[in-house]
Parts: sequence; C-alpha cells; structure tokens
Amino acid sequence: MTSQASRKIAQGALFIICMLLVLGAIDAALAQPFGMTRGAAQPEFGGFTGWVLAKQAEFYRMLSGTIRAAKADGSAAYTLMGISFAYGIFHAAGPGHGKAVISSYMVANNETWRRGVVLSFASAILQALTAILIVGIAAVLLGATAKVMGDTVRIIEIVSYLLIIAIGLRLLWVKGRAFLHLLRSRKQAQDHGRDHAHDHGRSHAHDHGHDHSHDHHHDHGHSHDHGHGHHGHDHDHGEEASAWGHAHALEPQELTGSHWLKRGLSAIFAVGLRPCSGAIIVLVFSLAQGLFWIGVGATFMMGLGTAITVAGIATLAVGARGLAGRLAKAKPGAGILVIRGLETGAAAVIILFGTLLLTGYMVSERLMVF
Amino acid sequence: MTASIRILLATLLTLVFALPACAHPHVWVTMKSEVLYSPDGKVTGVRHAWSFDDMFSAFATQGLAAKEKGKYTREELAPLAKVNIESLKEYDYFTYARVDGVKVPMADPTNDYWLDYKDQILTLHFTVPFKTPVKAKELAIDIYDPTIFVDFEFAKDNPVKLVGAPQCKLDVALPREMTFAEGKALSNIPADQVNTSMAWGAQFANKILVHCP
Repeated sequence: MTSQASRKIAQGALFIICMLLVLGAIDAALAQPFGMTRGAAQPEFGGFTGWVLAKQAEFYRMLSGTIRAAKADGSAAYTLMGISFAYGIFHAAGPGHGKAVISSYMVANNETWRRGVVLSFASAILQALTAILIVGIAAVLLGATAKVMGDTVRIIEIVSYLLIIAIGLRLLWVKGRAFLHLLRSRKQAQDHGRDHAHDHGRSHAHDHGHDHSHDHHHDHGHSHDHGHGHHGHDHDHGEEASAWGHAHALEPQELTGSHWLKRGLSAIFAVGLRPCSGAIIVLVFSLAQGLFWIGVGATFMMGLGTAITVAGIATLAVGARGLAGRLAKAKPGAGILVIRGLETGAAAVIILFGTLLLTGYMVSERLMVF
Repeated sequence: MTASIRILLATLLTLVFALPACAHPHVWVTMKSEVLYSPDGKVTGVRHAWSFDDMFSAFATQGLAAKEKGKYTREELAPLAKVNIESLKEYDYFTYARVDGVKVPMADPTNDYWLDYKDQILTLHFTVPFKTPVKAKELAIDIYDPTIFVDFEFAKDNPVKLVGAPQCKLDVALPREMTFAEGKALSNIPADQVNTSMAWGAQFANKILVHCP
C-alpha cells in the first residue's frame, strides 16, 4: 500500500478521535449549568434529541396518573408497565452517560455484540436494583427523608464516576501502549522499507500463507518482520479478534476467553450503580400511594427498556468497529494503526466522561434541586 | 470504502456523544410570579409561587413528620422550605433579570418564604429581591433551568402580575416547548391581562417582559 493511503487512514483516525474529544467538550459546555453562558441564550434541543427529550418527558408525566389509576383499578398496572417500558427506551436513547461509557468500552475492548447485550442488560438491571434498594431501605424500612436518599445517591454517584475513570485509565494504559508500540514499530519498518525497497516486492510474493501473527508485537525490534507484517493481508483467518483485537503480549490471557465477564463487571458496576432519578421518584411516589410493589415492577420495566436501547447502541458501536476492523484487514499496516488509535481514543473518552461527571461539569441527573 | 466507514463512525459517534449530557425534567414547576415595584417606581424583585408536580411533591415530603397523616402544615414544612431556598442559591433561583439589556444581580431571598401543601401538591413561596432596586424601561426576567432538570411553566391563569408598577405593559413569553406540551395555555391567558408574545423564537425560557414608558 502507498504511504499516502496510510497517511489518509491515520488522518481519518485522528479526525475521529478529535471529534470524540470535541463532542465530549461540547457536551460538557452544554451541560454546564452556569458556565460562561450563564443566563444567556438557551441551548436549543431540536431534531432527534428534542424529540427524544419530549417523548421521555411525556411518558414520565404519564406515570403519575397511571399509578394513581392503579390504586382504584388493578388493570391500570399493566398500562403502567407498558409506559414504564417505553419511558425506559426513550430515557436511555436520550442524554445519559451509561450508553456512552458502555459503547466506548465496547470499542476500546473490541468486545462482541453479544457481550455488549449482556453488559447492557446487566447494568440496567443493577440500576433498577440500586433504585429499589435505596428506596426500599431508606424510605420503606427507615422512613428516611428525600434528603437522605439524595445524599445516598450522591455518594453512590461519586463511586460510580471514580470507577468509570479507573476503567478508562486502565484501558488507556493498555491500548495507548499498544498504539504507541505500533507507531514506533511502523516507523522502524518504514525506515527499513526505504533502505530495502527492492525486498518489498519479493516479500509480497513470499508471504502468502504466512501466519498473521506477524501483525503483532511479539516481534518488536525485528523491523524486518514488521515489513513482512504489512503484507500479511492474505491470511484468511476467520477470527478477527486474534488478528488485531487485543493488546497482544501486554495481556495475553486476560483480554480473551471467559474472563471478559469478570472484566466487564467493572463496567457493569460503573454504569449500573448510579440509580436513575426517575425510578427513585416513581418508587417514592408509589410508596406514598401505598403501591410500592407496583413501583418496583415499573422500575424493572424501565430497566428493561433502558437495556434494549443501550444494547442497540452498543451493538451499533461494535458493528462500526467491526467494519473498521475489516477495512483495516484490507490495509494491514495503517489499518491496525487506525484500530489502535480508535481504541485509545475510546479509552480517552471514558476518562473524559468520568472526569466531567465527577467534577460536576457534566450533570448526569440530579435528584435534589429543591 | 474509507470514506463510507468514516461517515458511519462519525454518525454513530455523533449519535452517542453529541446529545447534551443532561437529563430530562424530573420536576415540573407550575409558577405564578409577581414583579414587585417600590413606591418610586423602581423594580425591587420577583415574588414566586412554584407548585411542584405530584410525583416530586410526594418525593420531597417523603419521611417528613406530620401530626395528621398526608397533611403538612407550614410549620412542619419549614425545615424543607429552608433546604429548598438554600439549595436554590446554587442555581441563582433560576431567575435571570435584565434591565435595558443589562444583567441585574439578584440578592438572597427575603425571610418570608414558606411551603404549603394542598391536594398533595407542594408550593414554594419566596421572593428574590434585586440587589439594588432599579428603574427599568425594558425589564426582562427569564425563568428556566439551563440543565432542564426542572421544567418551568407558567400557570394557565394570570401567571404574572405587576405589583405597584407605574403605567407598564406586560408580556409573557412562553418557552417553545409549550407549543406542543401546553399549547392551550396560550389561549387560556386572558387577553386583557397579558399580551402573549408569539415571538419567542429560539427562546427556551419562560420570559416576563415589562415595558415602562
């Protein structure tokens, strides 16, 4: 492949990473309650976002009436479950860090879509459980006030954000190092290529059937091997993950196999710990109506709806990454660089999200204003 | 191929990340506001009466002690009102005033604030004074939550009053959201009381506009 093409791909990757960071920053700026634009013009929520916001607000507002109705008429409980489910779907499609963190995590770790679905459902169910536990223990058992619940959520929130940052840092360490390794070795390979341009042509012919493992790091320092690696595109290995999915020599065992769920637990907790404010309010409202268990059912339905949306978005992210992976396969050298860059960028985005959330520059959800 | 993937990725990532990172409203406030004037015609502040929606009212009163179950007196709600007023400070009481286009700083609320509880609805009454009373030819007061956690809407009837104002003309601009959420509110505002401005345009806020000669 030409160096021009590789430069283009590298530029593309850089573009994507920059965009991620810029979008993150815009997000933060928009969300900043009283930043530079204090009291100035409002951010406008048009188009898709506006629609999602309007929809979830609409469903949310229907909840209270339906809970009241369920008091007199038991069949309204079914309606309530339906509305809660719809609310969950729209709630997750709207602003929120959960799906962003999960998607970034999927991209950075090159997880399969099935794992994405599992992670999404697990975190959504955990989220429902935390809401139920907080209200169940604080309000039902202890008769605590809203303020106590708000403070509890605040503490959980901080833990959750710290966890997000920790996941991001760890990923950045692993993926960023792989990316830098690759950059360095590519440079060496290029230097080598310049010196022995005539060899390249021959290696093309010889490399057919060569094992793909040349793409990897275990040959660091042997710049001639990397030269081969660039032309190792003809292997027909079905499992992409082994081709460039993971961080190679850095963590051979941990990133593949059955450990993914254990590893994913951190992501599940990071995202699922913080309960949805809406769920807590709905639960307390149900409790006030003497229908706590109906509130519990509604909370689980919200979780189910949330899980479906998050799983959908995570699957999209995995699909996009897979597509990029296939492209990278076609253009081995620079392609892997793009993938590594993308993974590193995704890790950076997770850190960014965690930091903005922790410092309060980005507001996830507030439970207590009044 | 490269371009198409780049576009796909860009679309996806925009979808995931470009959404504003703030939640949808969890509190709905129906408000009535009064713009207060001193005898010499200066604006002194804004008196608010904010009614919370039934779900949030239930949430906020959770665990509060009451002599009679389900009924809260002003005294019983006093500690909660104090917390409300204190936490609102961080959000500038969601009240942003401009006099002749220049922002006017607000002071902390006066001590005559209270909460009442009627038909399971909690209403917060409080007054935000201007730091210094001003004569205002064009007064604009925005009431909104930039993080849209709280959704403010004017009450249907007589949402805004001028108290002790000289000969002034009052306009109330509703946020754009109202067009579909509460469009009816528009037609329900009595013509003699409020001249509803249709020119809210990009405004997201509830706006009180007072024009004095």
